[in-house]
Amino acid sequence: MIPILSIVLFLPIVASVPAYLLLKRSRASGMWFTLGVTVVELLLAVYVFYFVYANFGGLSGSGTGQYALTEEYSWVSVASFGVNYLVGADGLSSPLVLATALLTVFAVIGSRRLIDKAEPAYYALILLFEGAIVGVFLSLDLVLFYFFWDLVMVPMFFLIGIWGGDRKTYAAMKFMIFIFTGSMILLLALMAAYMGVSPTTFDIPSLAGRIPAAVQYLPLLASFIGFGIKLPVFPLHSWLPDAYTQAPAPVAVLLAGVQSAMGGYGLIRISIGLFPEAAHQWAWAFMAVGAVTMFYGAGVAILSKNLKSMFAYTSLAGMGFVVFGSFSTMASGSIIGMQGAILEMFVHAFTAGSLFMLAGYIQKGLGTTDIPLMSGLQRLVPRGGLLLVFSCVGAMALPPFGSFVAEVLVIVGGIHATPYAAVTILVPVMIGGYMLWMIKRVVLSPPPAGASGVDIQAIDAGVLALYLVPLIVMMFFSVLVLGPAAPVVQHILQLVGH
Amino acid sequence: MDYILAAVVVLGAAALGAPVLQTAERRFRIGAYASMAALALAIVMVAANTVNGGISTVPYFGNLLVSDPLGDIFALVVLSVTLAVAVASFYSSPNGPNIPSYYSLLVFSALGMVLLSYSADLLMLFVAWELMSLPTYVLAGFDKKRVQSNEAAAKYAILGALSSAIILYAISLTYGVTGTTQISGVVARLALEPFNPLVSVAILLFVVGFGFKMSIVPFHMWVPDAYEGSPPAIATLFATATKKAGFVAAIRVVLVIATVYALAPNSVFTLANVLAVLAVITMTLGNVAALTQKSMTRLLAYSSIAQAGYILVGFSIFAYSQQTGAFAYNGLLGLTGSIFHVVNHAIMKGAAFLAAMVVLTQLKRGDLGAYNGLAKRMPITAFTLAVSFLALAGVPPLNGFWSKLLLFVSVINTPLAWVAVAAILNSAFSLGYYFWVIKRMYLDPGESTERVKEPLWSVVLFAVLVGLMIGIGLFPQQFISLASSAASSVIP
Repeated sequence: MIPILSIVLFLPIVASVPAYLLLKRSRASGMWFTLGVTVVELLLAVYVFYFVYANFGGLSGSGTGQYALTEEYSWVSVASFGVNYLVGADGLSSPLVLATALLTVFAVIGSRRLIDKAEPAYYALILLFEGAIVGVFLSLDLVLFYFFWDLVMVPMFFLIGIWGGDRKTYAAMKFMIFIFTGSMILLLALMAAYMGVSPTTFDIPSLAGRIPAAVQYLPLLASFIGFGIKLPVFPLHSWLPDAYTQAPAPVAVLLAGVQSAMGGYGLIRISIGLFPEAAHQWAWAFMAVGAVTMFYGAGVAILSKNLKSMFAYTSLAGMGFVVFGSFSTMASGSIIGMQGAILEMFVHAFTAGSLFMLAGYIQKGLGTTDIPLMSGLQRLVPRGGLLLVFSCVGAMALPPFGSFVAEVLVIVGGIHATPYAAVTILVPVMIGGYMLWMIKRVVLSPPPAGASGVDIQAIDAGVLALYLVPLIVMMFFSVLVLGPAAPVVQHILQLVGH
Repeated sequence: MDYILAAVVVLGAAALGAPVLQTAERRFRIGAYASMAALALAIVMVAANTVNGGISTVPYFGNLLVSDPLGDIFALVVLSVTLAVAVASFYSSPNGPNIPSYYSLLVFSALGMVLLSYSADLLMLFVAWELMSLPTYVLAGFDKKRVQSNEAAAKYAILGALSSAIILYAISLTYGVTGTTQISGVVARLALEPFNPLVSVAILLFVVGFGFKMSIVPFHMWVPDAYEGSPPAIATLFATATKKAGFVAAIRVVLVIATVYALAPNSVFTLANVLAVLAVITMTLGNVAALTQKSMTRLLAYSSIAQAGYILVGFSIFAYSQQTGAFAYNGLLGLTGSIFHVVNHAIMKGAAFLAAMVVLTQLKRGDLGAYNGLAKRMPITAFTLAVSFLALAGVPPLNGFWSKLLLFVSVINTPLAWVAVAAILNSAFSLGYYFWVIKRMYLDPGESTERVKEPLWSVVLFAVLVGLMIGIGLFPQQFISLASSAASSVIP
């Protein structure tokens, strides 16, 4: 049998070395190689996604919490300590792997125009980053999971710190300190899970449902802080505006699109999956954190004077939806909220991705992303203006974009838990409000006299339009994600007796 | 076990032979070559001892030495480090004064550390301790024309002598109570002994005496000054070899006695708590002080102090499990983590110190400002330093991650869980200064971008060390298994 998941996992990591060497030699061939690797990775991810859908698809999933394509090898095994190399895919991880692979292809294509220094190291780091993120999604052993979890931040530190904007060093250090602190706190939770059962194990499938309820509370809190920094959620988010705005556009795409999904993934797989009783008991508190994050993100975005910072806070609000939806399921026992959260992570990758990439192109074409200084985009950067309108509609969660389905599911899931959750419907309204206001000021206004801009080339505009394809697909075929997600959620609910 | 005696003979011959060769004035390099060859040969012999299983817990050589996995691991570490130090000294300052005595002293110290690793008797342990320490007092002051080197030597020698005296006093107390200096005999006697305050005093004095070498707070005062003042190669030896000798001595004496004897009956003043408090103080002070340093060597010195705190975590849970009879699994896991972290720390700190040494010799500057933009000027050195710092912070996929994982996981579900929380927060905090240096090297602009020559010997050493850090990080099985068997061999 072909170890397909290991190939998916290690292909980008291993390919980063030849990519670096090739790029040193010749820019063109190295870039084609990098693009080729990411495309092959995408095809493999599509296969994994299809395989999971074919086996666990359908809204009437069996609810056994199974994993497809698992591989297991002993990694460390001494008398007192055992760690396995255990990977597997299910309805939670396969869409995120697909989103990562697709977004990386887009980011690599976008980097062609937007990155112009130290390219060999840049593309090698992007590949390393992709492999590490895929590793996070596919690992079913806590140590393996943490291994990749930490590995993600090292390439990201350099990607922000070397290729970022004016305050890149500050942003990179702040990012690193926050993320590593979160990682260490997360490690406490993982170690507590390991020691919580007898015989001890790091194996996620066999840990689920076996940790005694009494020792779940502190690990749940620690893991929530760890994942909450990555997502991020409201009080832990202060690294986000710096990192998202200072990172170069293709890196911001990956940061907002897939790195935040790591946090959401961990929240569902580990915080809720391993500590379900505690998550059930404390669901209200975490729903509140999610709701505050939603309102805070949307509220601060209204005041943003810069396109990138507006998008960063919009992304923060999106992550609030993930937390809110996931824990609404734990509060109510209805699977809709968590299903919506999983779909939200998938579509958010593309809404946030397209916004940040567009911001990068607009900055290149217009020289600024300060909203007060921008006007007349439809004249100066016509393709960019048009795409910005569409991407904003996607971020506003209006049909025909899949973000609509995700946010409706999350809000309905919240209402299942408490009728007061209906107030969260105001968040998409706020997002729609400031986005339309921004479009009026930036796109539809007349250009200042004598101003000029460089439009996005047709081919790049075509690639940017591709970001919207998965969103439209998810509007009409949301069952592709929701179907395989259902058994995952049902399995978690079974652990708490629903 | 004959391998060990052979290694001792080889090292002794080289140590005595190196200065003799001084008479042939133009051939003074022979002493250095002989020393390096002897160290390499000794490594092979110890490795053969590990593989060919001269393993028994029964002492031999007049009941003075014991050939067990614990001794093997520490002997391998100290010999490898000494060899690396010898290579680095040989190429960085090939023509200094008194070169043959330098290598002779180095090998004498290595011999002391090897004997210490295998000691089964308190007197043997003390003799080996002195054999290890006395040459290093001279080595610390080897730059005799430099004031800092003299100061380092004086400070180190005075505090070193004090610690020796304290150990000797503890040995005399132990002998007075038990009537033997054989460690297994002491343990057997103490198992039958009712509570005796003299023994408790002796245990605490052992902790203090060994604590000087282990550089645990509050016995760490000499560390930053001695590391900074000594020749950089010797600072590497202090941080990665003689420090480890302190740990093996503590395991051989303090932890073994702890398996049968409690510090005080029915109180919170247990050995586990004492060690846990020392661990937390040590790591916290080390990390906080490291953050404020302006010089690389001092930063590394304080980071080294902090790492000693992590190692003590495993000691404390081992003592706890032995004295309460509960959490036996955790105790073994913790000691495994401690021993593994000692090995890892030698590799990580060795790489960091050697990289700092190369920067110091090539740029003639040791302050942190010299590291700005280093990635462009000395890419291989900067990369080595970055990898070793990531490993020290415990970032996967590097070796430091595994030993820290073992250490922290061993206390997480015990009454000592607060130590795990403190250690985790310390780890997060330590990233502040580790990444500050990485930021300087990779993100900040330097005063020039001109390539500075990186000597070939350093490139080779760095390749080996980085390979070890990544290799152990990816495939730790053999090392953890060895550390685990060493930990099991401690319990009598």
